[in-house]
Amino acid sequence: MKSIDLLGKVIEISHSNLEITSRIKSIVNIIAKELECEEVTLYTLDRDKRLTCRFKNNKSILFGILNQYRCHIGEGVIGSVAQRRAPQFYSKHDIPPRFGCLFYPELDGILERYKTFAFLPVSDDSYIYGVLVLGSSTIETLHEDEKIILSILSREIGGIFRSYDLILSSTKRISELVTLTELGKILSSNVEPYDLLKNIALIVARAMNAAFVSIRIEKSVLALETERFTYGTMDPAVERYIAPLEEKCVHLKKSISLEDYAEKVVEDKFSGFFMYVSPIISKNRILGTLLMGGEKSQPGMANEEDAAYLIDTIARYLSTGLETTLLNIRLRDVLRELGDAQKRLVEQEKFRSLGEMTASIAHEIKNPLAIIGGFTKRLANKANKDGVEWRYIDIIVKEVSRLETILNELLNYVKDVPIANDMCMINECIDEVIYLFAPDAAWENIHFVREYDTTLPPTRCDVQQIKQVFINILMNSFEAMAGKGTITIKTGQTYYREKPYVTISITDTGGGIEPAIIDNIFNPFFTTKERGTGLGLAISNKIVMNHGGHIEVNNNVGKGVTFVVYLPIKNNIM
Amino acid sequence: MKDIRLLVVDDEENIRILFKEELEDEGYIVDVAASGEEAIEKIKENHFDLIILDIKMPGMDGITVLNKIKNMNKEQPVILCSAYGEFRQDFSSWVSDAYVVKSADLHELKETIKNLLHL
Ligand SMILES: Nc1ncnc2c1ncn2[C@@H]1O[C@H](COP(=O)(O)OP(=O)(O)OP(=O)(O)O)[C@@H](O)[C@H]1O
Ligand SMILES: [Mg+2]
Repeated sequence: MKSIDLLGKVIEISHSNLEITSRIKSIVNIIAKELECEEVTLYTLDRDKRLTCRFKNNKSILFGILNQYRCHIGEGVIGSVAQRRAPQFYSKHDIPPRFGCLFYPELDGILERYKTFAFLPVSDDSYIYGVLVLGSSTIETLHEDEKIILSILSREIGGIFRSYDLILSSTKRISELVTLTELGKILSSNVEPYDLLKNIALIVARAMNAAFVSIRIEKSVLALETERFTYGTMDPAVERYIAPLEEKCVHLKKSISLEDYAEKVVEDKFSGFFMYVSPIISKNRILGTLLMGGEKSQPGMANEEDAAYLIDTIARYLSTGLETTLLNIRLRDVLRELGDAQKRLVEQEKFRSLGEMTASIAHEIKNPLAIIGGFTKRLANKANKDGVEWRYIDIIVKEVSRLETILNELLNYVKDVPIANDMCMINECIDEVIYLFAPDAAWENIHFVREYDTTLPPTRCDVQQIKQVFINILMNSFEAMAGKGTITIKTGQTYYREKPYVTISITDTGGGIEPAIIDNIFNPFFTTKERGTGLGLAISNKIVMNHGGHIEVNNNVGKGVTFVVYLPIKNNIM
Repeated sequence: MKDIRLLVVDDEENIRILFKEELEDEGYIVDVAASGEEAIEKIKENHFDLIILDIKMPGMDGITVLNKIKNMNKEQPVILCSAYGEFRQDFSSWVSDAYVVKSADLHELKETIKNLLHL
């Protein structure tokens, strides 16, 4: 019945709001009291998989000795209980237990005082947290029901550790998420590179309570002036290891710590320091490094394992965000430049408008001038050639003609629009024209056959004008075929009057042109269409002639027409 | 020289007067029209040996008038006469028989008329 009482109390404590160590301490003391054991101690498992005696009942004597030695799993009675996860009980007739891994000389003479020892694994279903140790100098042996109660108790303690672990890891996870969220905000904001690095360094430092954080961006990533931002100061003793550590990290393309880098040095001199650096890698390219460091003893600093994990996570996170961010920054700069360029263009446009205004003023003046000059000349005819009037009139006529010359020169100057002089890949140019029509439903029954000469040299021409030529010819074919048929486009090279030309031949299945009208098709305003303007071929012809080429028509009455456009390869006309 | 009839189409009155007087001095019979519409009316009713056409006119412009005239009678000789030299580059002015830039000096216009009329 005593046992049931004990169990109730332990469960109550384990579910209380007390801090974990207080809970364990109370439980240990209650067990000692209720089971009349002088010794109740608890070993816990550390990260390095070693067991350390950390908790004791108030009266414990053995604790002072036991907690000086740590043992591995599997070593000694503690280690073997932890490994096998099975309790061990010793009564006074058994051989005294061997604690830990070493022979404890201090225990000599002390162990003999105890009649009973119990060692119980503190675990839950999957994980071992430690070993509970009981020792009594009064009890001869533990009853079976007491053993059962002890098993239940040790499991309950295991449960306490487990939930504590869970809370701990989720707190860690939450703070990690908070850090990443903050980083995300910074990365997606539009801050200047300097502020960006500064903020990242600050966030990382805060997240880990680190004395020193340095983030370095490779110069080649972007032409940044700021290559590095450092938060905090590093002890001068280890400061000189920063650069070589980063270099090694970049070289290995993986995270390394100061210990990995210079084990020996660290052992003797700088064992108090911790430094860890992670590469920021995106698509196998090193963008930079993220380094964190400080004194191991600094209060509140994340332990080495956590810090390494967090630095790795953040570096990985940065690699995905940083490149985009830096690109965005550059994009913004480019946009700004574009804006400036646009402003300059607007300026030029103003001048152009000024030119246009000049032109229209000049035009306005031309008519009255013609009238003045014309009538003055008429006056001259009527005036006496010897009289003073004639002399005056002659001056007016000459001045008018001078003005007219000036105006004509001015207009020629203003109207001097440069002709585009592009190097054009004709095949691509045709493709682009076809793509203009392709999405149009009216063209869905037009089948295009393309037979391109892929060795066509680039051709010097005004691309927009040449495209207009193709558009006009294709439109005519489309109209002749009433929206249904095949258009074959071939490109090639040929000689015409001993000069090299690029040829583009466009053949349709529209029935051809009536022989009676074929001579007229290039005339402006000649059309056989109700809604035609008759300008398509006239314009095309003029454009091609301006390019030093010509258009040939091969009419196949009843079948279709082939228009062949000749463009000189070495164009010296333009 | 038998009577040669010319039509001067220009929206500017003083140009009409100048051209009329100068060309009459050359011995032609000169009629004038102040707009494209008026010109078309006159051409429908009368025969002209040659038409001198301004391009920039309010309402129907010279190019349109040219187009209409040539549609009515392909053989009708027309001279485009404009202060704007640029229209010379405009393919739609090609159907005219000649293109003369307006100037105080009417010498070029007079020569062009003579050439077209084979005088
Ligand atoms: N591929 C063709 N098949 C049959 N006839 C054609 C073809 N291309 C041109 N023509 C004839 O030549 C005429 C002149 O063509 P052009 O492109 O100059 O003017 P349009 O097509 O009539 O009018 P616009 O192109 O100005 O809309 C056409 O009206 C048509 O009679
Ligand atoms: Mg056409």
